[in-house]
Amino acid sequence: MIGNDIVDLALAKKESNWQRNRFLDKIFTENEQLLIANATNPEMMVWNLWTRKEAAYKIYNRETGIRGYIPWQLDCFYENENLGTVSCNGLTYHTQTQISNESIYTIAVAKKQDFNQIRKIDLETKISKINGIPFVKDISSLIVSPVSITHHGRFWEGIMLVD
Amino acid sequence: MISKQEIIEQLKTIVKPYVQNQESFDALTEETDFINDLKINSANLVDVILDIEEKYTIIIDNESMEKMINVKAAMEIVAIKLAEK
Repeated sequence: MIGNDIVDLALAKKESNWQRNRFLDKIFTENEQLLIANATNPEMMVWNLWTRKEAAYKIYNRETGIRGYIPWQLDCFYENENLGTVSCNGLTYHTQTQISNESIYTIAVAKKQDFNQIRKIDLETKISKINGIPFVKDISSLIVSPVSITHHGRFWEGIMLVD
Repeated sequence: MISKQEIIEQLKTIVKPYVQNQESFDALTEETDFINDLKINSANLVDVILDIEEKYTIIIDNESMEKMINVKAAMEIVAIKLAEK
């Protein structure tokens, strides 16, 4: 399973006031709040951790079938600005995060080696859903591969997991 | 005692600024899903929760927050928290 999440930083600035009273308390664990407080750029850290949680939640939701608003349960272990893991109720996912001036983008996988099996897809890719989970089906081989798509503001990213 | 209808109207006012699907908002029912139907950005769902807390001066604990995915759940949580006051 895979998950991805992108934040358009300009849009996030407009849509969200992360400095709002209790905003961080509702989303982030104590450890994560420390990371944010001690970061050179707290705002970048907020969205860095947020995209990790969202990308990991997509896998969690698809693996367990559990749906809920649980950002604080998705516990980020922050290795560095590009790497880490997210744990949720005993399940752990690996994350890779790409940072630019315009966006923060995280890909999460259930198994670390899956990072090597990820291919980008484009907007034209035909996506089907099986039990609410998006897949692409190869026309010639009929092999189905899980996909994850994310869009926010100016950005759209889609990935698939190939065998 | 506040009625169910009043709560639903007040919730509509609260979620309105974050809604990205106007059609679904206009047709809002108890079954309306905040993210799938109203297309509220998941980061803005925190704002909805904070706005609800401020409006009713209640605290929505983590356990309740977990359920906050549709109008029905929000209405139930508001009713329970108001009754506890």
